[in-house]
Amino acid sequence: MLTLVISNLKMLARNRQATFWAIFFPLLLVVAFGLFDINGVGTGNLTVVDQDGGLRAKLLLQNLEQVEILDLESPNTEPPNSESEARREIAEKDLDYLIIIPQGFENADAEAGTVTLVYNSRNQQRNQLVDALVRSLVSESQPPERPLALSQLVATEVIEVTEVDYFDEVLMGLIGLGIMTNSIISIAVRVSTFRNQSILKRLLVTPLPIWKYFAGEVLAHLVLAAIQVAIILVVGVFVFGASIHGNVGWIFVIALLGTLVFLNIGFILSAWARSPAAASGLGNAVALPMMFFAGAFFSTATLPWVLPQAARVLPLTPMLEALRDVAIDSAPLWETWPELGALGIWVAVTALVASRVFRFS
Amino acid sequence: MLDTDADQAVRVGGLVKQFGSLTAVDNISFNVKSGEIFGILGPNGAGKTTTLEIIEGLLKPTQGSVSVLGLNVFKEPNRVKARIGVQLQSSAYHDYLKLNEILSLLGSFYPKRVSPENLLEQVGLTDKADSRVNQLSGGQKQRFTVAASLVNDPELVILDEPTTGLDPQARRNLWSLVQEIHQRGVTVVMTTHYMEEAEALCQRLAIMDHGRILTIDTPRNLINKLDAAYTVKLVVANPLTEEQVASFNGSIEVVQAAEGNAYLLRMQNSPKALGTVLEEINRSGISLEHLEVTPVTLEDVFLELTGNELRD
Repeated sequence: MLTLVISNLKMLARNRQATFWAIFFPLLLVVAFGLFDINGVGTGNLTVVDQDGGLRAKLLLQNLEQVEILDLESPNTEPPNSESEARREIAEKDLDYLIIIPQGFENADAEAGTVTLVYNSRNQQRNQLVDALVRSLVSESQPPERPLALSQLVATEVIEVTEVDYFDEVLMGLIGLGIMTNSIISIAVRVSTFRNQSILKRLLVTPLPIWKYFAGEVLAHLVLAAIQVAIILVVGVFVFGASIHGNVGWIFVIALLGTLVFLNIGFILSAWARSPAAASGLGNAVALPMMFFAGAFFSTATLPWVLPQAARVLPLTPMLEALRDVAIDSAPLWETWPELGALGIWVAVTALVASRVFRFS
Repeated sequence: MLDTDADQAVRVGGLVKQFGSLTAVDNISFNVKSGEIFGILGPNGAGKTTTLEIIEGLLKPTQGSVSVLGLNVFKEPNRVKARIGVQLQSSAYHDYLKLNEILSLLGSFYPKRVSPENLLEQVGLTDKADSRVNQLSGGQKQRFTVAASLVNDPELVILDEPTTGLDPQARRNLWSLVQEIHQRGVTVVMTTHYMEEAEALCQRLAIMDHGRILTIDTPRNLINKLDAAYTVKLVVANPLTEEQVASFNGSIEVVQAAEGNAYLLRMQNSPKALGTVLEEINRSGISLEHLEVTPVTLEDVFLELTGNELRD
């Protein structure tokens, strides 16, 4: 059995093209997404609640409007609710910055003239930049004869939120994509190659119990999948600065559970494919649409018609949701039980179908 | 000699295999004695491979019984598989493993195994241990598949057309390999569609066509049983007339060959009959282009039994 798993791993390692698919293709995407620097410092949107309405406040507003990394937007709601509404938006990550210019700003009132800057903890690089900018702009708009002390110019309020980079979400999408394409295509192509070359038949004339053959394939591919997840995580985190908030071990657990589903799908497709080339084509035909519809890279909420609901029944969807719950929202594994349950059902159903349709010759 | 199980490596009784409406194997029975090389000779589609696959436990027969090494193949397939070695027709091996790795992988499936080094030495591929199957020549590949069938030090080896597609040199190499295996006391069952291979290797031969076994005997007996002992092949300038055909003595059978003006004359008591033929040729002024006298071969036996040339 061990010999079988090791042999399978050797074959997988030596089959360079398959390895390319397994590791380098998702890795290329990691690099591509990483290089695009989707987050960057970027621009943030800003709402100013001007309670003072004086000349100096207007000047400050004009100056803020000149700042390149800030998009000045008027408050969505009228006073007196505009401030609380804006704070809520910041907590929800719909708004990046809120500046409150208090009554008494005009006169640089030592008691009540302090400007409040509110932001969430998401984009720390930009936050530092904005913080410094706002301080210098506020300082410039002080009355020259008796300005506020530097420490009284701006009060900063940070609303703690989980940092959700788009790249973090994409990284989980890439894990899903990598595991799915590699598991489906590798198994489908290997099995159909082995069948075409009568290698499966050759195994049948040995006393090897058939379950051991399947176990050997599955274990070897689980090892490959674990390596793949590790590489994607390492490159994503250490090279492109993604953050994993949850337990990394659980990411592997979820990924390997998903791997089982996709291996089963590979076994099913292999029964259907008449040649290794057909198996590869079939594998892609199943994997690529699933990649888009399960929301590996883009939210499926914007899909028309019943497609968002239809996407929910794909096996990649619960896998990605569970991965993101753990990696981004730091959910413990047991909180993802609906997704794990869905994956479990997928494992059982695909295994049943695979055992029905599998053919040795 | 008592016909006990111990003497019989394989016993096949009333075997029938149908694929839908096609009867691939049509009620055949035969025994293979322990320690012999038993051949099944027949054209493609005769049912040879199906018969072997039933013996190997790959296929279930529609009817009939098969015992291998005294065991019922369908009841104890794994005990049988552990003791036999099988070379499948057109079976390839893993592209991404080295020869010694394939042999250790296959060996790991058996309770009893021979080391890859030993196996490769037996088939003269020691220096190819680190090569892959697709780097081997046709002959080396076939020898490797024979080595792979020996991983469990089997008592019975089943070879399905081991020399098909090989050049004459490689074929002869493989023959000596089969003979070496046989000399170690291993029973060999092999199929072939080459007459000279069956004659050179097999101690007993079953001739099979259209799913039936037409006869089983030693190659020599099969030839001797045939009425004709010699065949004369005539190639003439103009087709023979019916009178000319009739003019050959009645004891000579004349068969027109498929193409050209060639005729096969089969005769017993050849020195005398040959004289008659030559006399007749001179007398009737047949213009002769080529004349060839050949001893009877299994080819003739096959022709006699099936009325067909061995289809290749």
